[in-house]
Amino acid sequence: LTRAATPKLAAYAGLAALGLLAALAARLPELVVAAAPFAVFTGLGLLLARAPRIGADVGLGNDRVLEGEEAEALVTLDAVIGAERVEVLLDVPRQLEPVEEPNPRTIRLADGERRELTYRLRCTRWGAFAVGRLYLRCEDAFGLYRHETELDHRRPLRVYPTEESVRTLLRPAETQVFSGNHVARQKGEGIEFADLRPFVPGDRVRHVNWRASARRGELWVNEHHAERNADVVIFLDSFAEARRGEQSTLDPALRAAVTLVARYLRQKDRVGFVTVGGMLNWLLPGTGAAQLYRIVDAMLDTQVVLSYAWRDIDAMPRRTLPPHALVLALTPLLDDRAARALLDLRARGFDVVVIEVSPLALVPTARGEVGELADRLWRLRREAVRGRFERAGIPVAVWGEHSTLATALEEVSTYRRYARALRA
Amino acid sequence: LPEVVAGVGAAGCVLVALALVFRQAPLLPPGFAAVGAGYAVYVALRSGGVDSRAPFVAAAVFCAAELAFWSLAGRTGLALRRLTLLIGSAVATAFVGSLLLTVAAESSGGVGLEAAGVLAAVTLLVAVAWLAKPRPVP
Repeated sequence: LTRAATPKLAAYAGLAALGLLAALAARLPELVVAAAPFAVFTGLGLLLARAPRIGADVGLGNDRVLEGEEAEALVTLDAVIGAERVEVLLDVPRQLEPVEEPNPRTIRLADGERRELTYRLRCTRWGAFAVGRLYLRCEDAFGLYRHETELDHRRPLRVYPTEESVRTLLRPAETQVFSGNHVARQKGEGIEFADLRPFVPGDRVRHVNWRASARRGELWVNEHHAERNADVVIFLDSFAEARRGEQSTLDPALRAAVTLVARYLRQKDRVGFVTVGGMLNWLLPGTGAAQLYRIVDAMLDTQVVLSYAWRDIDAMPRRTLPPHALVLALTPLLDDRAARALLDLRARGFDVVVIEVSPLALVPTARGEVGELADRLWRLRREAVRGRFERAGIPVAVWGEHSTLATALEEVSTYRRYARALRA
Repeated sequence: LPEVVAGVGAAGCVLVALALVFRQAPLLPPGFAAVGAGYAVYVALRSGGVDSRAPFVAAAVFCAAELAFWSLAGRTGLALRRLTLLIGSAVATAFVGSLLLTVAAESSGGVGLEAAGVLAAVTLLVAVAWLAKPRPVP
């Protein structure tokens, strides 16, 4: 607690002293009367001044909320020695906007009083925040002294990005060995019809195709495609971002990543997460709700860190990228290192898909002849990168301001169907 | 010399107004000092005994100073409580002022009393300067 005099103390003391001296010099008792209230007020203020003793605690109603929702912070003030006027400022990041209630708040705390203040905070952007740094400024009834203190009771608040609406997900080219929701190429227990074959001892009667058996005069059974799960790795490019004000290419990329992770996990796939950028970050593939929270928590710490150093994807543990995994890359295609890493993965046999989070809406309009030339060259370079992907057999879908993630995914599905037909 | 009184008083009012408009607290003390100086000139030039309206002038100046500092603090809340305190202070000022005037009218003065007055004023300034120094509270 730090004590400091307010400007009022100096002003009143000065006026009182000036008035008293002037009264003495001019022999005017009226000036004593005029100066007296200032002197008495100052004297009483100094005599009755006491240091407040206020304890505080900060709690969060919910430490995990969705972007756009409201979080509730409960500030509990416990005054052993109160103060006439207490200003309570809860330090909140700018992404959390106080709703309705003012911040700071002014209250009066009597001795021994306990007060609870509720702050509703609208979470305007995803991220991991710490809420709970409090600044208290206390003034006595005379307003001559100001006691200030800073209390740190920060609690973590995680704001998860909202999900994009997606109707269908991309089907991986290869499935894994565990049961799941994808129709595998292999035959086995399942629902989807695969083929007919003659009955052999041990076959279950329920698999007998009676119509085919009647036509051929011997028993034939149906074969089915097995239903297996897949390994999906979300590849997030955080080398660079295009930003204009609060808008950035990283935000939609993260929203898309959360959507895809949640949806793939819901259909029993194993999902992993890789962030390549100034900092290389990864999570081994896993399943279940715990994996969802693990990945989303890792995503919240994702930020664009400018770095010229780049460790190859070899730096990642081998299990991060399991064989036959579908690698879904979300990239603004602003850095060649991410493109090289994806081409490297494709060369190693991974099923790579690129969703380009278009930065075009965030790029300022080119001005002047040189500006326009630079803009054209930049766009041509992006086209060239896309061409390299396509030549390597990597589908690229652009997700911009005029399209949705669902459209981009559908575009990739169409490309893959077309490519399959062409191969056939 | 009513022009002098009006001029000094008006200068004080202008200073206070400027302090409020531009939110400059350091301009307030000179402003109120100038208003007080205007009143001092008026009292010095008037004929007759002690000005019986002095307690009310003091209460008015004090209330104006409190409201000005309140306004510059720019904070909301606890308005009713603060207004009550202000009205109480104004009444107390008028009462104490009247009491002081009565004492002053009956007192004969002298060098000892004047020396005590100077000492009191200087002590007040020194005490305030010492107390106003920022320091951590144990």
